[in-house]
Amino acid sequence: MLNSKASKVLFGPILDNNPIALQILGICSALAVTTSLQVSLVMSLAVIAVIACSNVAVSAIRQYIPGSIRIIVQMVVIASLVIVVDQVLKAFVYDISKQLSVFVGLIITNCIVMGRAEGFAMKNGVFMSFLDGLGNGVGYSFVLLFVAFFRELFGSGSLFGYTLMELDRNGGWYNPNNMMLLPPSAFFLIGFLIWAIRAYKPEQIEEA
Amino acid sequence: MQALRNILDRVHPYFAKGGVLEKAYPMYEALDTFLYTPGETTKKVTHVRDGIDLKRMMSMVVLSLIPVTLFGMWNAGYQANQAIEKMEQAGAPYEFDWHHTVQTAIGLGHDPTSFIDNFAYGAIHFLPIYIVCMFVGGHIELVFSVLRGHEINEGFLVTGLLFPLTLPASIPLWQVAVGIAFGVIVAKEVFGGTGRNFLNVALTARAFLYFAHAGQISGDQIWTAVDGFSGATALGQMAVAEGNAVASLSAIQYPWGEGSISLGSAFLGTIQGSIGETSTLLCIVGAAILIAAGIGSWKIMAAVVGGTVVTTLLMNALDFGSNPMFAVPFYWHLSVGGLAFGLVFMATDPVSASMTDTGKWIYGGLIGFMTVLIRVVNPAFPEGIMLAILFGNVFAPLIDYFVVEANVKRRAARYATT
Amino acid sequence: MQQRDSLANTFLVSTVLCVVCSLAVSAAAVALRPLQEKNQLLDRQKNILDATGLALGEFGLPASQLTVDQIAELYTRVEERLVDLETGEYNTELDPASYDPKDAAKKPNLSVRTDDPNYSIGRNRREKVARVFLVRNPKTEEITQVVLPVYGQGLWSTLYGYLAVKRDLETVQGLTFYEHAETPGLGGEVDNPRWKAQWVGLKMFDESGDPALAVARGPAPSDSEHKVDGLSGATITGNGVTDLVRYWTGPDGYQNYLNRLESELNGSQGESDVKQ
Repeated sequence: MLNSKASKVLFGPILDNNPIALQILGICSALAVTTSLQVSLVMSLAVIAVIACSNVAVSAIRQYIPGSIRIIVQMVVIASLVIVVDQVLKAFVYDISKQLSVFVGLIITNCIVMGRAEGFAMKNGVFMSFLDGLGNGVGYSFVLLFVAFFRELFGSGSLFGYTLMELDRNGGWYNPNNMMLLPPSAFFLIGFLIWAIRAYKPEQIEEA
Repeated sequence: MQALRNILDRVHPYFAKGGVLEKAYPMYEALDTFLYTPGETTKKVTHVRDGIDLKRMMSMVVLSLIPVTLFGMWNAGYQANQAIEKMEQAGAPYEFDWHHTVQTAIGLGHDPTSFIDNFAYGAIHFLPIYIVCMFVGGHIELVFSVLRGHEINEGFLVTGLLFPLTLPASIPLWQVAVGIAFGVIVAKEVFGGTGRNFLNVALTARAFLYFAHAGQISGDQIWTAVDGFSGATALGQMAVAEGNAVASLSAIQYPWGEGSISLGSAFLGTIQGSIGETSTLLCIVGAAILIAAGIGSWKIMAAVVGGTVVTTLLMNALDFGSNPMFAVPFYWHLSVGGLAFGLVFMATDPVSASMTDTGKWIYGGLIGFMTVLIRVVNPAFPEGIMLAILFGNVFAPLIDYFVVEANVKRRAARYATT
Repeated sequence: MQQRDSLANTFLVSTVLCVVCSLAVSAAAVALRPLQEKNQLLDRQKNILDATGLALGEFGLPASQLTVDQIAELYTRVEERLVDLETGEYNTELDPASYDPKDAAKKPNLSVRTDDPNYSIGRNRREKVARVFLVRNPKTEEITQVVLPVYGQGLWSTLYGYLAVKRDLETVQGLTFYEHAETPGLGGEVDNPRWKAQWVGLKMFDESGDPALAVARGPAPSDSEHKVDGLSGATITGNGVTDLVRYWTGPDGYQNYLNRLESELNGSQGESDVKQ
């Protein structure tokens, strides 16, 4: 179905070349929006949509973009997409968009999006760029959901808002780990994830 | 004793390279060298000036901690028994838990004037915390040592004693386990084990609990091990005082009415607080042992005290009456809270502190400064020594780097002129 | 590709791109605006229903779990009014639908210096006109509750909430904070349903008529009519809540309005001061 290059472009960014775990890009939003799975999922979808669309758009017009203003052109494309996505979220999932607050807008400054537009879409065809955007978005989402899974489970005793461990403050037995509700816990979790990935794929370890 | 030696020698081949239990060699080694002097000793003249090794160094630290530990146990029991007696008299509601069952089972009561009652009740609180901490932390250490083929060393004996001493007596045991597991894995093993941690392990563990389960390690209901008791610590009281912070210490609200904390009791340590931190006097004793043995750096200790005093004087001078903590004099800062304990036993941790002599002064001064700053200015955290030391730990390598660079530059300049 | 990097082409590409992008953005914004406004309104309605306890009372669920229809149905009992805080009279000049108190607090012509010697909300200015919510009994059309928006500084953030008052205008029906950023587990416990339940039934004023609601330090005295338990390890947040409820129930807050409303209610219905 997909030839080997395409599947490498699509699936590579998930484990082999994960934008967060290997390239350490886009950490900011991974800290901010991962207190619950639901919010992370929406954020993930928003980022996937923005990366895929911006890659497609930039790739489609790459022959016409003058070199001197190419970064600005990419910025304009990405910024417009982000605003549209933000408007859509506000219209259809208001509660979640309220929790995401500025972080949807900050997708504009997410290095992953710019990086893929400049690094890949400017040199490749529309379909490949679409796959690349999709793959990187999914790689980002994978880390986001991993972090959110543990933060929501241990911080709030629930998954997707469904209570698994009744909190002691509500009469249950589970004393929640409040650090999981604070952004620094995402650092630890991403650290553990990187540890696990590099133990599994030692070639990702950088030489000191 | 010879029999024990023989047994160890007999099983040695099993653990040696190629033996069936090769992987478990670190366990054998730990037991062997704990009981006996290691077989391999240096034969020739070396550059080492002293026969001290990590093992003896750690044992000295443990020795220096014994006074505060024993006092801490007595004081934990004393605070609890005193609270029980007074709440009983005032008719305030309180509850007993399993600690009380054990206390009565061994035939003791809750008389705050009885040394035995106090010490035993404190020990019943402290020992389970200590055992859980050693058991969980020790096993994590063991697993990593076996996986990596390292020797198990005594570093954990110190961490395993320091961590319980920084906790309130009422801490749930499962939190002790979670905390020490986090501390050992994240602060130590991730960076490669003993000697490679850049943060103090015990404090990292405590900081984790502090943020994860703040309800059990912060606030005014936890320092005395009686369910239903509430009363602010000296720092907690001063932080929310209106008017004169020190004067407010003579009217602390307890369930039985008002009580007070005097400078003398804060110095001696007969006040509530984390198990090991209350007695400034015995921390000084511990400091004397560490300095006499050449293990703790007197420069760091002096620098923390200096940093605290200077910063406090500065705060006193800047006092415009908006925040009563500004007016607190330095001798109160040095007596209350965990400053004395932290500066003697935590800041001097040779692995996470600065190495260079000049660096030690800067590092210590930074810790003293940050402690006072957090205590005085930050409204959320009445105590600042834990965060200040961790902050200092993070900066220690940077401080060393600049001290060394400055030295290199100075010498280069000196040679350039000649 | 000489032509791609030429000045003319650079201008052309940037112009076309800007026009296309701005069209896309404005189209999305205009097309989705009605939906967004509906959402904002719904969100506010949910918070108010939570404060009044109507959602739990009628459907046994917190308002966030109700359907849109259920909320709309409940909300028919709520009437929004604008109140001039200084005089206590209803304001009829501003449009209740579009008026934004948060925004007004920032505008010099719509706001006024806070002026309460005892209690502070951590702000220098507050809005002149506040939006209050009257809850009526669906059958008798009598006012059963008044919901007053309140806010004030906690430890890290401003707490925004609703204080629901029973018909006697001195008993608390509920206090809910819908926006804050206090420490999870300490100050963040203002969201704890058990703690919030302690507010129900407290008296807002002491014998001399001064604001008396407070968060105690430690457990509240069991016979207290005015205090709830302190939040463990959250003295500053607790003090902030004390300050803000006292400020808003005080003379610089809603006291003038409450006094006027009381005489209005008693005037129209005599002494039949029916308790809910």
